[in-house]
Amino acid sequence: MNDTDCIDGTLPTQAFLLEDLLTIDKVSKSFNLNNGKQLKVLSEVTLCIKNIQHKPQILSILGPSGGGKTTLLRILAGLDKPDSGNVSIHVGNGMRDVHVGDIGVVFQRYPLFDDRTVLQNLVEPAMNSGMNRNEAEIKATKFLQEFGLDNQLSSFPAQLSGGQRQRVAIAQQLIQDRHYIILDEPFSGLDPNNIHNVISLLQRIANQHSKNTFIIVTHDITSALIISDTVIILGKTSANEGSKIVKEYDMIEEGLAYQANIEDLPRFQQIRKEIKYVEFPKLATQN
Amino acid sequence: MQTNLSEIFRILGEPNRIFRAYLFAFWIAVLFLFWLFTPVQGMPYPSEVWEAFQRMFASNESNNLVLNTWVTIKLNIVGLFLASIISLIIAYFSCLPFLQPLNQILQWFRYLPIVAFNLVFLSLFTIGWSMKVAMLTAGMAFFLITSMTAVIGQIPKLKFELARVLKYSDWKTFWTVVVRPTLPAMIDVVAQSAAMGWVMIVAIETFNRTEGGIGASIYSYSATNQKAEVYVYLVIIGIIAILEDQFFYWLKRILFPYTTIAERA
Repeated sequence: MNDTDCIDGTLPTQAFLLEDLLTIDKVSKSFNLNNGKQLKVLSEVTLCIKNIQHKPQILSILGPSGGGKTTLLRILAGLDKPDSGNVSIHVGNGMRDVHVGDIGVVFQRYPLFDDRTVLQNLVEPAMNSGMNRNEAEIKATKFLQEFGLDNQLSSFPAQLSGGQRQRVAIAQQLIQDRHYIILDEPFSGLDPNNIHNVISLLQRIANQHSKNTFIIVTHDITSALIISDTVIILGKTSANEGSKIVKEYDMIEEGLAYQANIEDLPRFQQIRKEIKYVEFPKLATQN
Repeated sequence: MQTNLSEIFRILGEPNRIFRAYLFAFWIAVLFLFWLFTPVQGMPYPSEVWEAFQRMFASNESNNLVLNTWVTIKLNIVGLFLASIISLIIAYFSCLPFLQPLNQILQWFRYLPIVAFNLVFLSLFTIGWSMKVAMLTAGMAFFLITSMTAVIGQIPKLKFELARVLKYSDWKTFWTVVVRPTLPAMIDVVAQSAAMGWVMIVAIETFNRTEGGIGASIYSYSATNQKAEVYVYLVIIGIIAILEDQFFYWLKRILFPYTTIAERA
């Protein structure tokens, strides 16, 4: 079996962590406030995402609102520069600084090109990555069929529901054959049924290649735990400091990754409770 | 009927299309009746306007209605076309910081009355057609640049970021995010400025009356207190305005059909 081949479902043996895919090294970020003071948002955030043999990877970043999740997302995607520290990415045979475009981003409100049809919204990025029109159209059609959007090829974004827009936005990022995709609050505003659909979709498409890495920025603890191999909790340790990683759960080591019905497992429920208290410490003192 | 009646007095009510047409006809009739029975002095009666219309239509002299109307329509079309092209280029290329100060300065020019620059235009162009076109183009362009730049300024930052994330080059981002999606809004802006062009016509044609035109005729008739003749042209401008609005609406629907798709709730 090739290193990059994927195994669907539970691994027959223990998962092996291979080379670094994405490293965040002591990243800090502050913003200037109108009163002349500075707001520290991130303080020396350090994180390493490694390649898991024969498995895609889904990592979730959890944190309270205003906790710096989106700032971290933007720095990871190269859209913003950190004040200090750096983000490196595995490209080809080695690591280098991340550039805009290395990592796909599915933004929160799923912006699309509103003057283009759903098909064109995929064909244009595909052509931009080097395909000719014919190849791009075939690939885009295949993607849209896979995403259950084959009836919407000639629809315009204004005609889509929120869930459909989200699927088009994910497909738009995937069509450029990316290994890294960040999703900003993919479960926000969805009912439980649709959350389940998004989780299934992400797990299915992540499995297309073992090096696929999805980074999900969310505040939905349950969904993050169900879908992830690693869960990172971003939080403040003191009022004057920016957020940093306060807790990390390796769901593979915990024995919860790639398991069916993990919600029923006692360890799952325990972790969910722990995260809640880390995110909202006041809840812990009340109970 | 009952539902439609209650709808028209409800905030954001939605009477059906036929009822909307009735409402339109109703307000036209109200305005016509106001004109007919108005106590305001200085307005000719509709019958006087009708008689003047027949005289002007039948005239074989320079005051012929069709001839003068055509001169002004031609001027308006050419002026609007040139102003639109120049303004689109300046507005779009103001995405380059190098051109932004020039764009801002040109926007300030809209406060200045264009006829005050008649000597400048006279020194640059020969009196007559070319000078009128230049004055109208410049006059409309200052307003068009302002409105077009505002349209570009409303593009959400997220769209630029989406293009960057998809590894689009600067020029592809410019075309995909700036130019292409704003073209329908540019048609709306041009439609508004077309109306402004008609307001400027009188002032501009006054300087070059030799060729005639609606503006020159309104000036001459006003000077000799021929109210009915002036109102004939006002009615004609009104009719042209309706046709022009409909043309731009049709153009937008044909070129950009997606703009007529209602946003899904």
